[in-house]
Amino acid sequence: MKHWLETYSIIDFISVGILLTAVTLNAFKSIESYVKAYTINSWLLAGLIAVVGVLVNESHLYMAAVLTVLTKGVLIPIIIWRIIRRMRVAHEVTPYISNTLSLAISGILVAVVYASLQGGIFVTGFSRDALQISIAVILISLFIMITRKKALTMVMGLLFMENGLFLAGFSLTFGMPTIIELGVLFDMLMGVIILGIFAVQIKRVFASADLDKLTVLKG
Amino acid sequence: MLTVLLIPIITAVLCYLVKSPRFIGYVSLAGMSVLVVAAARLIAASLAAPVYELQEALFMDAFSAYVMALMLFYSFAAAVYSISYLQHEFETGLIDIRGMRRYYGLFHLFVFTMLLVVAANNLALMWIGMEATTIVSALLIGLGFHKRPLAVEAAWKYIVLCTVGITFALLGTFITYYAASSVVGHESALNWTVLSGIAAKLNPGTMKLAFIFMLVGYGTKAGLAPVHNWLPDAQSQAPSPISALLPGWTAFYAIMRFLAIVSPSTGVSFTGNLLVIFGLISIGIAAIFIVVQDNYKRLLSYSSVEHMGIMALGVGIGGPLGFYGSLLHMLGNTFAKPLMFFTSGKIQARFGSTNIANVTGVFSSMPLLGAMTFIGALALAGSPPFNIFISEFTILKAAADKGMWLVLGIFLFFAAVVFYGVLSGFGKMLFGDPGRESGAGSLVRPRIPVTVGTVLGNGIMIAMTASIVVMGFTIPQFIDRTIRACIAALGAN
Repeated sequence: MKHWLETYSIIDFISVGILLTAVTLNAFKSIESYVKAYTINSWLLAGLIAVVGVLVNESHLYMAAVLTVLTKGVLIPIIIWRIIRRMRVAHEVTPYISNTLSLAISGILVAVVYASLQGGIFVTGFSRDALQISIAVILISLFIMITRKKALTMVMGLLFMENGLFLAGFSLTFGMPTIIELGVLFDMLMGVIILGIFAVQIKRVFASADLDKLTVLKG
Repeated sequence: MLTVLLIPIITAVLCYLVKSPRFIGYVSLAGMSVLVVAAARLIAASLAAPVYELQEALFMDAFSAYVMALMLFYSFAAAVYSISYLQHEFETGLIDIRGMRRYYGLFHLFVFTMLLVVAANNLALMWIGMEATTIVSALLIGLGFHKRPLAVEAAWKYIVLCTVGITFALLGTFITYYAASSVVGHESALNWTVLSGIAAKLNPGTMKLAFIFMLVGYGTKAGLAPVHNWLPDAQSQAPSPISALLPGWTAFYAIMRFLAIVSPSTGVSFTGNLLVIFGLISIGIAAIFIVVQDNYKRLLSYSSVEHMGIMALGVGIGGPLGFYGSLLHMLGNTFAKPLMFFTSGKIQARFGSTNIANVTGVFSSMPLLGAMTFIGALALAGSPPFNIFISEFTILKAAADKGMWLVLGIFLFFAAVVFYGVLSGFGKMLFGDPGRESGAGSLVRPRIPVTVGTVLGNGIMIAMTASIVVMGFTIPQFIDRTIRACIAALGAN
C-alpha cells in the first residue's frame, strides 16, 4: 500500500485535484455546482490527510481525516443544501466580471504564488506542492468572494478558503492535536449555520440575496 | 478557573429558561454578580503568582488577570444597563419575551467566550474562543432582525469580515506551531508558557510571517484601520449594551501576547514599526470620519477605532513607558466608552433618532444624563483632567524619549482633530434650546418611568462617571502596581 502510494505520487494527484476544484469555481454559473465542487474538495482534503497518515504511520491523522469528512464532506454540504432550498433563490451566481476574465485572473494568482514561494523559508515534509497549492486556493477563494454578488457565494468562498487554510496548516505541521482540530471544526460549523441564518434573513428583508443591496450603512 | 468559566454558561441556561420579562434581567444580574465574586478571588491569586489548571490548558498571569478584570467590569456594567434598556424595548414592542430570553442567553455565552480567550494557555484554544466571540456577538447584533433590517446588514458585514480576518490569524497560528515544533517537538508547542521560554530560539523569518498574519487577523477583530469597516456598522446597529462590549479587549490581548513571543527573535523594531504604522493609520482615518460624522453612535465607534489605534501606537513605541501608557489607556477606555454608549442609548430612546442634528438641548431637559454625557465626551476626546489624557500623555512622553518626533507630531495633530470632532458633535446635542419646535428637533418620546431597573442603570452610569473623574486626578496604588506586574509578565522591561 505504502509503496504503491509513493510510486504513483498519489499525494500530488490529490493536491492538484484540490487546486482544480477551486479553479472550477470561476466557470460555474449556479450555486449548486459550487456546493458540489466544495464537497469534492473536502473529500479530497480528507483523502490527502488519510494518505499522509498511511505514509508517515500516524494514527491520529486517520481520526483527523474522518472528522474532516464528517464535517466538511457531509454536514456542511447538507446544511448549505437546506439553506438553498429555504431561500428558493434564482440559482445564478451573477459575477461582476466575465467567466473568462475570472479564470485568467485565477491562473495569474496561481502563477504568482508559485513564483513567490519558490525558495521559501518552509521545508515541508510530504510534498513540495501542497503549501503553494493551499495558498493559491486561499487567494482564489478570496477572489471569488469579492467578485460574486450573492450572499451564498460569499459563504462558499469562505468555506473554500478554510479548506485551503487546513491544507496549509496540514502541510506545515501534519495537523494540530485532534482535540484542537475538533474545536476549530466546531467553530466553523457554527459559523456556517449562522451565516446561513443571516443569508436567509437578507433575502427576506431586502427581497433579494444580492449583496449590492447592502449599501445603506457607510461613512 | 474552571468554575469561573462555567458560571456564565449556567447563567446563560438559567436566563433562557426564565419566562417572565420582569425577572429575567435580575436573574442575569445575579449570575453576573456571582461571576464577579468568583473571578475576584482568581484575579487576586493570579496577580500574585501564575495559576495553572487542567494540565496547563488554562493559565492566567498578571496580564490575563488585568484584562479579565476589565472585561468583567464592562460586562457587569452592560448586564446592569441591559435591564432598563430591554425593559424599555419590551414596553415599546421592539422585542418580545422570546427575544429577551435569547438576548440574555447569548449575552452570557458572549461573556464566557471572552473569558475563555484570556484564560486559554493554548494559542489554538484562544483562537477557538475568539471565533466563538464573533459568532455569538453577530447573533446579538442581528437580534430582532424583523424590526431592524439594517441590523442584518451590519451583522452580515461583521461576521464575514471578522471570519475572513480571523482565518488569517489561524494561518498565523499554524505557522507559529510550525516554528515552535521544530524547536521543542510536537507536545505543547502551542502553549504561551512554553513559547515564551523558547521565544528567542524561534526562526525569525518564520515568526515575522506569523506576526503579519496575526496582526492582520486579530487587528480586524480589534477594529484597527484599514480593516475596521465592520465596527461602525456593528456598533451603531447593535443594542446599546452590546455596542459597549464591542470590539472588546480580546483581540488586543491576543496581539499583546503574541508580541511577547515574536519580538525576542525578530527584534523589537520589526514588530514595533508595524504596530506604530497600524496605530497611526487608525488614528488618522478615525479622525477624518469623526469630523464629518452626523450620526452620534457612529461617531463613538470611530472614536473606538481611534483609541485602539492609540493603544497599538503605545505598544509599538514600546519600552516600559509605552506599555504603561497603553495599559492605562485600556483602563480609561473601559470606563469611558461603555458610559458613552449607555448615555447615547438613553438619548436615542428619548429622541428616537441617532442623527446629531435631530438632538438638541439634552443638558437642560435631562441635566443628569447631560452631565454624564459631557464628562464622558470630554474624557473620550482626551481632555485633561481625565484618565485618558494621562495615558495619552504617557505615550507622547514615550515617543519623545525615543526621539520619534515624526510619530509624535502626527499623533498630536490627529488627536487635536479628534478633540474638535468629538466635542463639536456632542456639544451640538448637549447645549441649545430643548423646546425648539422644528419638526424632528423636539422631544418625540415621553419620559421613561422610574423603575428599579432604571435606578440601577443610572447608578452604574454615575459610578462609571465618578471613576472617570477620580482616576483623572490620581491613579490608585494597586492599579499602578498591577500595570507594572503586567509589563513584567509581558517581558517589556
